Amino acid sequence: MLKVDGLTVRAGSVELVHDVSFAIGPGERVGLIGESGSGKSLTALSLMGLLPEGVAASGTARLGDRDLVGVPESRIKELRGREMSMVFQEPMTALNPLMRVGAQVAEVMTLHGRARREARARAVELLERVRLSEPAQIARAYPHQLSGGQRQRVMLAIALANEPGLLICDEPTTALDVTVQKQMLELIAEVAPALLFITHDLAVVASVCERVLVMYGGRVVESGPIREVFARPRHRYTEGLLAASKLTPRGTRLPTISGSVPPAGRFPDGCVFRNRCPHATPACETAPELTGDGHAFACWHPAD
Amino acid sequence: MRGRMNAGLLVGGVLVGMVVLAALVSFFWTPHDPTLVDAAGKLREPGDGYLLGADKFGRDTFSQLMVGARTTLYVGIVAVGIAAVVGTPLGMAAGMTPRGWLSELIMRVNDLVFAFPALLLAVMLGAVYGAGTLTAMIAIGVATVPAFARVARAATLQVMVTDYVLAARAAGRRRPAIAFRHVLPNIGSVLIVQASVSFAIAILAEAALSFLGFGTRPPTPSWGRMLQESQELLFSTPRLALWPGLAIALAVLGFNLLGDGLRDFLDPKLRRIRAEG
Amino acid sequence: MPSHAGTPLIEARGLTRVYHRPRSSLTKPGAAVEALREVSLTVGRGERYGIVGESGSGKSTLLRLLCGLDRPTSGSIRFDGREITGLPERRLRFLRENLQIVFQDPMSSLDPRMRVRDLVAEPLVALGLPVGGRVAELLEAVGLPAEAAERYPHQFSGGQRQRIAIARALAPRPKVLVADEPVSALDVSVRGQILNLLADLVDELGLTLVFVSHDLSVVRHVCETVAVMSAGEIVETGPVDDVWAAPAHPYTRALLAAVPTLEGLL
Repeated sequence: MLKVDGLTVRAGSVELVHDVSFAIGPGERVGLIGESGSGKSLTALSLMGLLPEGVAASGTARLGDRDLVGVPESRIKELRGREMSMVFQEPMTALNPLMRVGAQVAEVMTLHGRARREARARAVELLERVRLSEPAQIARAYPHQLSGGQRQRVMLAIALANEPGLLICDEPTTALDVTVQKQMLELIAEVAPALLFITHDLAVVASVCERVLVMYGGRVVESGPIREVFARPRHRYTEGLLAASKLTPRGTRLPTISGSVPPAGRFPDGCVFRNRCPHATPACETAPELTGDGHAFACWHPAD
Repeated sequence: MRGRMNAGLLVGGVLVGMVVLAALVSFFWTPHDPTLVDAAGKLREPGDGYLLGADKFGRDTFSQLMVGARTTLYVGIVAVGIAAVVGTPLGMAAGMTPRGWLSELIMRVNDLVFAFPALLLAVMLGAVYGAGTLTAMIAIGVATVPAFARVARAATLQVMVTDYVLAARAAGRRRPAIAFRHVLPNIGSVLIVQASVSFAIAILAEAALSFLGFGTRPPTPSWGRMLQESQELLFSTPRLALWPGLAIALAVLGFNLLGDGLRDFLDPKLRRIRAEG
Repeated sequence: MPSHAGTPLIEARGLTRVYHRPRSSLTKPGAAVEALREVSLTVGRGERYGIVGESGSGKSTLLRLLCGLDRPTSGSIRFDGREITGLPERRLRFLRENLQIVFQDPMSSLDPRMRVRDLVAEPLVALGLPVGGRVAELLEAVGLPAEAAERYPHQFSGGQRQRIAIARALAPRPKVLVADEPVSALDVSVRGQILNLLADLVDELGLTLVFVSHDLSVVRHVCETVAVMSAGEIVETGPVDDVWAAPAHPYTRALLAAVPTLEGLL
């Protein structure tokens, strides 16, 4: 379905994403975990051909038999919204405030050549599919009349409008309340054809995905089936992140990772995590390869 | 740590710099006396010490342009100064008490002044107090107050809802301290942009007033009056209109570019473009 | 730390706050929205009190009232035995000296045009207290280098900015620290650092902590007592471990069930 090989993203001389490779099969749900500055969003944007000005991607990425990287914008435009689509974090800014939501859902279909009337009817069906009650009424509403959760469902309906093969979600529930988040996650897991799910929240990714890629400093440091990676993390960063995600009882100290995520371009040479890693040795000055079948990691001193 | 120079800032700075330089140098030196009437040198062609030629009274165009730059800057500074000094506090006061009667009063009076054409105001003031550079400047300044007040109010409203103003209140800051320490610095860049745009408008207004005979009185050189005097010779000697026209256009462009450039340059958030991952 | 030691420090009774929407018709006034309805709570000296709720629950409104940043439509708040509702800003000095706030997003709660030195000293300057070497002392207490004083907020990471915000809140030696979602804008790997730091400071300085969060599991780690808010009311309150183990109100149960966890998976 999607195959990414050696994807590198640069802004001028600063490398923001380095040599990222992964594949997503049909129907597969893959999580991309990372903190701010890990390069996870840039990875997704480069697949969509939506990188900001002055940022360029190299390497290869193929969706089916179509190239996504290094091809003209116009070629990706045809694919965007049809073969693959994306749901963003902030549903308020992603919707046009002056247009009824039904028309916005219909628009993505007419853009890709569907008749107007048919698109309108199907828009209501789609709103129903993302479990909005009274879809016909919602279709006539403007974005500001909907709640955050409803707006994010509309975004999902827009993303699904042309039955894309791949759905990319970038922190789709971060702006939502937990009770709304739960329903949204269940919905995404149910309707997504193949899914690339980007988040900073380990528990969220665990409830949606089967496989996970852990990114730090623009590199994939660990990847594999989610149960294996979370139950037995090998990279020291994954290990630290998992430990930091668990809240221990009151009065005890929380496990932490020392220091903070460096700004882009200031990560150390060799292993990107070595300046924060309690197990770092001189060996870590050489960059470790991502090795292993199924469950892979890039660490010289992996956890057992 | 300072931001990168952008092209607009550079070009704007150079254009404005040229105007300022010409004005400063004109205090000490001009190629010829710009007010010297010389019947023999009437409509002298460029060359022979007269870089841009002379007008119908034989006055050197280049010297007039230099001294005219002085008038232009003078008018701009005083007019924008009046507008900023009066308009900014009014706008801030309105923005800091958005639901109060004070805010209503300020903004409605503002609308009233705004609805009144600046040129008409200048013509009226000129008729009552006599036309001259000073009346023109005051009129332009007063007419520009509402623009400043509005921009200041809009920016203040934005600053007042930020967490750092809430945090300052929680820290025990009173209104005046919040106005000076938080609001003013944070609306500064918006005001600078407004000042440069207003400066450009003031230059145009002064030129227009002088052209109409309500601005700078002869013999003080002014770009607007140079245009007016060249009017009748527009087809026979177009260069007389070309040079002051070009000077006005470039000065206006310069101030506009400078304002835009400064806004980006002064914004601490834009100073460092962070790549988000 | 013993809870409920001595007299209550903060006592709120029957707080109601009604907002008016801007009018959309010439003849009718704007619709009234009850953001807070008859809310009462008591925070004891040295207590760690958690307030949990989702957006629209009224927790932000309650917080503003408790901090004297807004006035209730009705009801009263006593701080250390003194009424604070309806007092003008100039008579709230005792509150400002004794109660300080850490906001959710340290990027927006620190004025981008001020140096860290001035930010941290601001409560002292505002209250007319001596600054002296206090800024360096505070920066050290929150684990920042002394050079940080000369820099601007945007030069720091999210976690470091939150440390700056904490240093600033501690400047006037308050009795109460109010933390409004202090870790929800932070990366997971620094969340623990900030929570540990808060716990240490509360212990060392004997502070009373009011901790607001949307996440009951974070509140459970930090606080002894919790109040769960929904639709402008406190629907359940009590020792956090009891509420966690046996939630009584249906909303609390729904909230607990919705929090995604790693434990279930592993």
